[in-house]
Amino acid sequence: MANISKFTDKWVLVIDDMEGMRSQLRMSLTNSGFAKLHIVANIREALERMASNRYDVILCDYSLGDSTDGQQFLEHLRTNDLISRNTIFVMITAEQAYEKVVAASECAPDDYLLKPFTAGQFNARLEKLLERQEYFAGIDKAADAKDWTRVIAECDKALPARNKYFIELCKTKAAALMHSNRPQEAADLYREVLALRPIGWARLGLARALAMQGKKDEAQQLSQEILADSPQFMAAYDFLGGLLSSSGDKKAALDVLQKARAVSPGTMNRIRELSTLAVSTGQPELAESVMRQTLQKHKFSPVRQVQDYAILSKALANQGKADEALNVVADARKDFRDEHSQVILAVTESVAHRAAGNDEQAEAALAKAMAGDINQLPAETVTAIADACFALGKEDEANKFLRHAIQNNPEDASIRNKVHDVLIAAGKETTEADAMIEDSTQEIIRINNEGVRKAEAGQFDEAVELLCEAADRLPNNLQIVGNAALVIALSLVKKGNDPQMLARCLRYRDAIVKKTPDYPKIAQIDSQLRLLQPARSGQ
Amino acid sequence: MNELYAAVIHDVKNQLAELALRLGDRANAQQEMNIAMNAARRLTEMLLAIRQESEQLSVTPDSVDTADFLSILAAEYRELFPALTIDIDTAHAPAFAFFDDALVRLALSNALHNACRSAKRHVKLAAREQDRMLVLEVADDGPGFPDAMLANMGDTPTSASSRGTGLGLYLARKIAELHELEGRCGRIELSNNGGAVFRMFLP
Repeated sequence: MANISKFTDKWVLVIDDMEGMRSQLRMSLTNSGFAKLHIVANIREALERMASNRYDVILCDYSLGDSTDGQQFLEHLRTNDLISRNTIFVMITAEQAYEKVVAASECAPDDYLLKPFTAGQFNARLEKLLERQEYFAGIDKAADAKDWTRVIAECDKALPARNKYFIELCKTKAAALMHSNRPQEAADLYREVLALRPIGWARLGLARALAMQGKKDEAQQLSQEILADSPQFMAAYDFLGGLLSSSGDKKAALDVLQKARAVSPGTMNRIRELSTLAVSTGQPELAESVMRQTLQKHKFSPVRQVQDYAILSKALANQGKADEALNVVADARKDFRDEHSQVILAVTESVAHRAAGNDEQAEAALAKAMAGDINQLPAETVTAIADACFALGKEDEANKFLRHAIQNNPEDASIRNKVHDVLIAAGKETTEADAMIEDSTQEIIRINNEGVRKAEAGQFDEAVELLCEAADRLPNNLQIVGNAALVIALSLVKKGNDPQMLARCLRYRDAIVKKTPDYPKIAQIDSQLRLLQPARSGQ
Repeated sequence: MNELYAAVIHDVKNQLAELALRLGDRANAQQEMNIAMNAARRLTEMLLAIRQESEQLSVTPDSVDTADFLSILAAEYRELFPALTIDIDTAHAPAFAFFDDALVRLALSNALHNACRSAKRHVKLAAREQDRMLVLEVADDGPGFPDAMLANMGDTPTSASSRGTGLGLYLARKIAELHELEGRCGRIELSNNGGAVFRMFLP
């Protein structure tokens, strides 16, 4: 058979909870020429396999018993970057209705197979998918590295052929433009696709691009139109909910997500968003019931996050059920033992103790949460610590954490929204919250500009000191870190090489490359470093 | 729809899936596999018909390569009907077309299944562009459609005939009609020309 050579070196992972299907799939795949096969019964085993092996193809049954389903598993893999974009993910399902949910969801599999299927049909599909895998290999590799500039360049090379992948290339390029903060070009490209056919994902893409351009009303109207036309378009609910929430209309956002939940029980991300909104709009009962039900269903499943327990505990604490809130924390501690989880649970515990009136224990728990290195924590956790600080009347500490969250994530609107939420929950006026956020933002811009100005004036030592101090404090602020690397490089060129400073410069540079390989400042830093080349190679 | 019914149908399809794979591993069990696959397709059609009646059937068009689409369909039926030759003609098909892959696949599998059952030796699948419509065609060299079916054109599911209950044809017509672009709707056409010819026109 012609396809034997094509399949034989491909690594395949099969996930199916039914013993009969597992052994049949094993036999069929072997007959089709697949030699490198791993077959598992549940997603826990799948994740263990995936930790040590890179698969070309994953075949996953949609229904995996009573627990987490295949779609939730795929969402988990994609949101946590656990599989390459180039890995073929095929969902196997007996339900025709599944296709509707999936076509309209954020994480669609590469293909799905409706049961029953014959080996001939299966092989023919896999051949097409492997052909696509090869065609997109370069683009997917760049996307995995989050090198959006290269994704766009590769798409531009392929687009003029207008072959069968044309529309998918448009979709990929538009998504990369969005990642690169180029919403105008993304909107133009989505409109180009829409001129050919009003496809759902292109309409939603356009709505996203409009929102990114600040045209929130247009974005909102468009997503409402999409939902009127296709009430099963789950991703459109999520987008509209997020849009409403970010413009401060949390009640309306919650309504939208409730409607979504009525259509489809939903993914973990939606449940998290919904419960969080319910807590912040004063409906802890709703948050409790949704999250309890979800955690019950996903008992022992790896798609759970420690934050899910934190939300549930907070919903309980807000209802005055402090004991239950503390029980939830104790439950979570059994499953989540890493350092970051300990911080989140300490914060959660502090809030629960505060609700019970045990301020001493609340203080002790919070002290544990505050003890670690703030730069090792995601900004969301930092805002949660601030929230607990406010609850115990520690305004200065709370503000310090919030300022850090903003200054360390200058491009992240969702973090600014989180900070805003925490300030409002602490009883601040909207104007006060806005002023605090603006002040924090301006402070770091001032530091940046002053550093650059000093460098331009030739005061390199001062510029380096100012920017390095800020860069070490805010390692996620790429503008600061980039400028710190750049002024060191300029100073080395001007004043002669210094191995220690060069090492520091490279450390900053490499940190940026790791986060954003196509960050424009890297080229500037590198061109200065090249001027040092003789000294560098002499080391 | 009643969730229990859906769960039972789901379960039956799972069992048929296992059966089909087991049969696929045996030599000369094509006819048995054929029966299992057909039974499963009938269940799917029934579920879709129920959704269609309660107006819950909607199409989600996306870009599809017709050559790939037809070759996957042909691969399945070549396996089920090894005595027939199934040819594909996409010489005049567009580079990419827009339709709901899953629903159109179901409609065409029904047409292809009937064609394979009636054909003497040859079945032909074709895709081409005609008057700003995509035409998907299934033609066989059998005795052709009975007159009653030509007159009815999938208007209503008819009583059982040599070519099935007509439910598949009825659904194919509905699926075609749900594809709409700028006021133009899809449709199906049946004719006899040296055998039965099924055509689906999509805007």
